[in-house]
Amino acid sequence: MFNYYLKLGWLSIRANPLLSTLMVLAIAIGIGASMTIITVNYAMSGNPIPHKSDQLFYVQLDSWDPNDTDEDSEPPDQVTYTDAMNLIEADRAYRQVASNRSGLVLEPENPDERPFTVDTRNTFADFFPMFDTPFLYGGGWDSSADDGLEHVTVLSRELNERVFGGEDSVGRSVRLNGMDFRVVGVLDEWLPMPKFYDVTNGAFDPSEELYIPFNVAIEYELPRNGNTNCWKRPEGEGFEAFLASECVWIQFWAELRDETEKREYMDFLNAYTEQQKALGRFGRPRDNRLSDVMEWMEAEQVVEDDARVMMGLSLLFLVVCLLNTIGLLLAKFMRKSGDISVRRALGASKRDVFTQHMIESGLIGLGGGLVGLGLTWLGLRGIHALFGEYVEHLVHLDGMMVLAAIALAVVSALAAGLYPTWQACRIMPASQLKTQ
Amino acid sequence: MLSMQNISMVYRTDTVETHALREFSLEVGEGEFVAVTGPSGSGKTTFLNIAGLLERFTSGKYLLDGKDVSSLSDSDTSKVRNEKIGFVFQGFNLIPDLNVFDNVDVPLRYRGFDTAERKRRIEGVLERVGLSSRAKHLPSQLSGGQQQRVAIARALAGEPRFLLADEPTGNLDSHMAESIMALIEEINAGGTTVIMVTHDPALAERAGRNVHIRDGQVSDVETDVQLVANA
Amino acid sequence: MQIGPIWRALMRNKTGAILIALQVAVTMAIMVNAISIIQSRAESMARPSGVDEPNIFHIVSVGYTEDFDERSVIEQDLAAIRAMPGVIDAIQTNSVPLSGGGWSMGLQTEPGADQDGVGVAVYFVDEHGLDTYGLKLVAGENFTPGDVEWRERQATDWPSTTLLTQAMAEQLFPDNWRDALGATVYINDDEPLVVKGIIERMQAAWNGWDGVERVMLVPQHTLFGSTRYVIRTEPGQRDSLMPEVEKLLADSNRDRIVRGMQTMTETRERSYRGDSSMIKLLTFTIVLLLVITSLGIVGLASFSVSRRTKQIGTRRALGASKSSIARYFMTENVLISGVGVALGAVLTVGLNMLLVDAFGLDRLEIWLVPAAMLVLLLVGQLAVFGPARRAAGVPPAVATRTI
Repeated sequence: MFNYYLKLGWLSIRANPLLSTLMVLAIAIGIGASMTIITVNYAMSGNPIPHKSDQLFYVQLDSWDPNDTDEDSEPPDQVTYTDAMNLIEADRAYRQVASNRSGLVLEPENPDERPFTVDTRNTFADFFPMFDTPFLYGGGWDSSADDGLEHVTVLSRELNERVFGGEDSVGRSVRLNGMDFRVVGVLDEWLPMPKFYDVTNGAFDPSEELYIPFNVAIEYELPRNGNTNCWKRPEGEGFEAFLASECVWIQFWAELRDETEKREYMDFLNAYTEQQKALGRFGRPRDNRLSDVMEWMEAEQVVEDDARVMMGLSLLFLVVCLLNTIGLLLAKFMRKSGDISVRRALGASKRDVFTQHMIESGLIGLGGGLVGLGLTWLGLRGIHALFGEYVEHLVHLDGMMVLAAIALAVVSALAAGLYPTWQACRIMPASQLKTQ
Repeated sequence: MLSMQNISMVYRTDTVETHALREFSLEVGEGEFVAVTGPSGSGKTTFLNIAGLLERFTSGKYLLDGKDVSSLSDSDTSKVRNEKIGFVFQGFNLIPDLNVFDNVDVPLRYRGFDTAERKRRIEGVLERVGLSSRAKHLPSQLSGGQQQRVAIARALAGEPRFLLADEPTGNLDSHMAESIMALIEEINAGGTTVIMVTHDPALAERAGRNVHIRDGQVSDVETDVQLVANA
Repeated sequence: MQIGPIWRALMRNKTGAILIALQVAVTMAIMVNAISIIQSRAESMARPSGVDEPNIFHIVSVGYTEDFDERSVIEQDLAAIRAMPGVIDAIQTNSVPLSGGGWSMGLQTEPGADQDGVGVAVYFVDEHGLDTYGLKLVAGENFTPGDVEWRERQATDWPSTTLLTQAMAEQLFPDNWRDALGATVYINDDEPLVVKGIIERMQAAWNGWDGVERVMLVPQHTLFGSTRYVIRTEPGQRDSLMPEVEKLLADSNRDRIVRGMQTMTETRERSYRGDSSMIKLLTFTIVLLLVITSLGIVGLASFSVSRRTKQIGTRRALGASKSSIARYFMTENVLISGVGVALGAVLTVGLNMLLVDAFGLDRLEIWLVPAAMLVLLLVGQLAVFGPARRAAGVPPAVATRTI
């Protein structure tokens, strides 16, 4: 019977091409508008590392100004150098990483080529296994390289292509800020969205092009270019004083595999801040936090308000399109009331009429979904053109979104078809069809 | 076969009450060919709608095949219509989007026959009404007489015990009307009970029995003829 | 034309009318709130940055070798750029208005860690700062060459003088911003700075900051490794001077990278890209929505005209004029849309309250509601005009025809 109804639906759609086109378009425009925005929201709120996002914890320590007594003042979103180093040395998590953003100048071997700046992340050996970065060649460095201040580096795939033409560059060296670094690994395509490990400096920025040991960057006072916040002036001049200051500029992540590890780590953090209090730091009430990846995205409000507002408006937009569709379906079904009453006379029960018309509605929804997908694609191109590189990685339709678009279209059309179908079911069987 | 006892049908709106049938009683036996006549507004169509289970009545008792059908659910009523009753309408009432084959197919689909069975039956009835060659045509490509033949084929495809015809020749010229009447007589001869509503006395005469409806009740034929003569 | 019979006829066949009224209502709610968002974005974009935007560009220079002598390079660069014909003036600084990246500090009128500071954006400039940006001094005086110092990357000390914007002065001295002139303010809790002058207006690097006009100018050249030159040219000279300056910087010293050259016009565009995109997106949404709602009205009216063809013919046969038939449908639409916009007004305000609550958007200006009601009624009339004319064209003879 299903196939029969499909055929009837198709015949009915074909029988009134203008009305059918209008309905498909109404749904398609609604789907196009809402799916464009939903796709962007989905990308913004996506889980960038689904298989272990509940084992990775962002560490916040409340080392902020004791005089800042605003009720809603949160612990700072980064940590000080002092705390980062103490936590690294304590080595109490399964893995731990302190990292920050910087930019280095890379001098190509060929003296005719001009040097250029590369986005860099100063980090620790655990960064690569902790965030499961995919490697094209080689791998990350050992923690011995962190301690031994070795000049090693991991390149992104793009940078490796630019500098080494894409070949296996492990063992070769690159010149960064006047120093030679040995390549130990080349990453494959790696673009977590959002860029969860450093949302402070841009949640939708691309990943860095180059990674070097954090300790090396400190040792040679290489430049930083990420966000730095201080509530108190460093005591004294120079780099040493800055390192010893209460300025926060480092992101700290801990990998904790289960509840027990998490609880133990929290106990450790609390004990640590108590000990620091004794040294005259941490003047505010204790407020240490461990947020897993998705909790951290939520706390940092990675999904922008504009995106949420547009999402609400676009869903209302879909409602308007559906109200339109209801009207059109009603007109269409009522125009067919003669056929329906004949079918009823010939033995169709109300249920048969119901199924037939719901399937027809669904079919129109399917058409609307397919056209709507095309419009969504156009819409995303439009969003990209409007907002530029900032949304570069947020405007891609994946299989999930394609399915969602079709499903939303069909479900919407079925919902819109409910009332007209109910009306169709109320049509009485009759021997005499009245015109008008 | 068909037994109506004291059937009344009242249409109500906010202000008006219309008695379409009053205490209407009629018995029709197996294999009969009954013509129902009467002036317009007399209740002929209401009678046919009730007989064909297209409408529910206000009071009274209706036995079809010995079974009380007044309190069946919608899906049971639909099933009875589908299996026992064939309809032929004045306006043919073919579905314009479906071709001849698919139009005849409609009741068979609701019957739940498999593809082979449906094909066999459709081809059989189309052969019988002489339209085998037009199976792929749309109704709009057929003459009125051919359309009515399709409608009759559609009514017969499910091999119903009853054929209800509402002015089957009303929209046809006399030549076509004759061929349709011949077909209906042939069907009746095959054992199917036929009830035909018409206002044409010439057609009514060809039936085995005439029932005249006036003001929602069966009235005596002779009386009516006299009234007509007096008017 | 009496409204009574039209209304009663509508009530007997109300589903289609309700659908249109709902559509009008939701359309109105979206439209008015979208316009309200557009208004507030446009307002924020219209705020002046205080600088001579059309004639300014900026460029970054990064020294990367051990023996890169930043101080002498800056001195040479500035001398060379300022000497170029067509250049009005140039400075070396850390950041420019609306660029999105910069420094902020806190200033307070009394010393002490327990005092609340007022956030302020910091630009390091020399005595050419006012001239380069085209800033207007409303009180006091500019820095002198003697005020200007050199600042190392990790330095924490501050010079003894500063210039504030009027907005910053108002924040520090709410009673009378002129009190700020000559006053001592404190940075880093207890380091004194004397306010040497007050400038009319200058924006910070972040357009979304609520203190966007709170700026302090600090008389220092920075030695941060990465530095930015801001250049102001004679009107019309900017575009031709840009490649010249870039070439000058790149060729004069091979131990550095020159990058990120941008006009202030581009900087503004980038800064407000999100806002201007939202405006375009919302405008497009409104237009599309109005089109869809109009089509809905056209569709329903056409359906109702074709269903009532015979009735219309009968009316015509009974003496109704063409215009009275058209008026019937126009009036019918006024009733439907009227119910729609009345409901829409409620929805609009409700949606706005929701948006204000959840996202801190601006409350909508209430005059938008009646204005939108009027616009939608008008759109409804336009949409129904076609079908109404078709209805008026139905000949009286239809009445006698059977179909």
